[in-house]
Amino acid sequence: MTAPLSDPRKVFGATVSQLAETRPEVVVLSTDSGKSSGFGDFAARHRERYFELGIMEQGAMGVASGLATTGRVPVFCAIAPFVTVRPYEMLRNDVGYMRQNVKVVGRNSGVTYSDLGATHHSLEDFAITRMIPGLTVLAPVDPAEIEAACVAMLDHPGPVYMRIGNEPIPDLAPAQPFVIGRGRTLRPGSDVTVVTTGSIAGSALAAAELLAERGLAAEVLGLGTVWPLDEDLIIESARRTGRIVTVEEHYVVGGLGSMVRELSAERLGIPVAKLGLPHGYSTSGPYHQLLAHYGLDPAGLASSIQAFLESPLPY
Amino acid sequence: MNQTPPRAWSESPDRLRWRAARSRRHVLRMLRAGGAGHLGGAMSCVDLVSSLYFHTLRHDPTQPKAPLRDRFILSAGHKCLAQYAVLAEAGYFDLDLLDSYGHLGTPLPGHPDMTKLPGVEANTGSLGHGLSIGLGMALGLRADGQGGRVWVLLGDGELPEGSNWEAATAARHHRVDNLTALVDVNGLQISGRVADVMSTEPLTERWAGFGWDAITIDGHDVDQILAALEQAGQANGRPTVILAHTVKAKGVSFAEDKVEYHYWKTKPDLLAQAEAEIDAAISALEEALA
Repeated sequence: MTAPLSDPRKVFGATVSQLAETRPEVVVLSTDSGKSSGFGDFAARHRERYFELGIMEQGAMGVASGLATTGRVPVFCAIAPFVTVRPYEMLRNDVGYMRQNVKVVGRNSGVTYSDLGATHHSLEDFAITRMIPGLTVLAPVDPAEIEAACVAMLDHPGPVYMRIGNEPIPDLAPAQPFVIGRGRTLRPGSDVTVVTTGSIAGSALAAAELLAERGLAAEVLGLGTVWPLDEDLIIESARRTGRIVTVEEHYVVGGLGSMVRELSAERLGIPVAKLGLPHGYSTSGPYHQLLAHYGLDPAGLASSIQAFLESPLPY
Repeated sequence: MNQTPPRAWSESPDRLRWRAARSRRHVLRMLRAGGAGHLGGAMSCVDLVSSLYFHTLRHDPTQPKAPLRDRFILSAGHKCLAQYAVLAEAGYFDLDLLDSYGHLGTPLPGHPDMTKLPGVEANTGSLGHGLSIGLGMALGLRADGQGGRVWVLLGDGELPEGSNWEAATAARHHRVDNLTALVDVNGLQISGRVADVMSTEPLTERWAGFGWDAITIDGHDVDQILAALEQAGQANGRPTVILAHTVKAKGVSFAEDKVEYHYWKTKPDLLAQAEAEIDAAISALEEALA
């Protein structure tokens, strides 16, 4: 039986559009990106709340900030690198430093825009967005969590960056209300704690299945919020399992792996293996082949996790 | 929530000249307190800023967050001494606060911080941000339907920043006529003449090419400033830019049009001379007012 797959962009766009029906303060900013972000219907229904700005992401971030000062709640969605690395200083100063209630959403994140190459991959967005004080960083793991995260994002009275992919993904767990800063256990286990986030979570869960067939019980934690990190959830699990693996569609430096290693160094002293993309310019190709190339497909992850568990300490 | 916009102050030209001179004196007071600061740009734009606050801008220091207020953004945030001076002169905070300039934790930092000081609308300082923020404010105020206007002051040295032209393009496309840019064309930036460092001439044709109405004035002539502010308020579907030609460090004779006074570490004798010159100007203007 195969679980139905959903396009994260469509889920996101439809959810925010639905929520905006009863939240007149929500406005949508597009940099030639709105329709691909799932806002085609919203643009037609609410022309006065849909701002097409053309391809100018730096200016758009400032416009979002300015609109927020007038009581609007701007949602600005485009391809992830173009709302993070491109207008980073505007995100820091105009949104972060000015404490404006702006929701920035990077879609086609990680390597999900697989064929378009390194300019269109976002492999440092966790690293740089978490550096902006007061900015919440979300990466929901499945379609149901994207829906719940949209509610939480709009309810949250402050700036948010949310990352979603574009590759169709299945639901991984029953829907539940999204609490910013709280992750959840997607699969219980006792041999190793696998901490994952965003669209790669399905691959991590499938890897746990493969490990179970080999007699290894991996506990998989899905962090819909990357920052602030759910330290309590990770600590509770890791103290039982004694080993941590992070799995993310992000560089192995600066992202979730680095955050969890910081946590372990400060509070646990438990070894952390970081699985993600190497710190280089990513290659391109079909998405699932690309994941396999970097060892992020279920088989590759299972192999790396097993090798980590079999390696002597200190790792 | 108060849904009535605050009133414009509509002070007379003579009184505006006096306000500007007093604001210049406040700039020197801050420099005396802190020992250093961006003198040149503050003095070149202060006639524009004070004319806005004491004539055209609809604002109320007792309600700095009144929802339907007009907005002023200092995109060239390093000219903040001018904005602090005018906000103090308008009563947003006590004049004594000016003496905290340059001190640890002051609400008057070297570039403005809206979370620290009432009346500041944006955290500028990195150049090329203000016009985009102002465009967003103008779009929001336009949707509010109460005639709210946004004024953004830029420096001429700031114009090569590409984000300015992103905002200029989008403002025209969206027919945002409640947004006005004021460019303080003092012709100098930290390395030298703007014309030598990176010219953006011809300014009028450049802005007109982006679909903006461009007005060129003497940025120290209050009558010309008021006429331009009036003209900028027309609802014609186009944003307006006021290209205000000014003199860097205007009003301080030994510093005028000299690049080394872009950022000035004060010297006691020269600061005393500057204070005496501005005091004399204030006295003369007070005689005219009397």
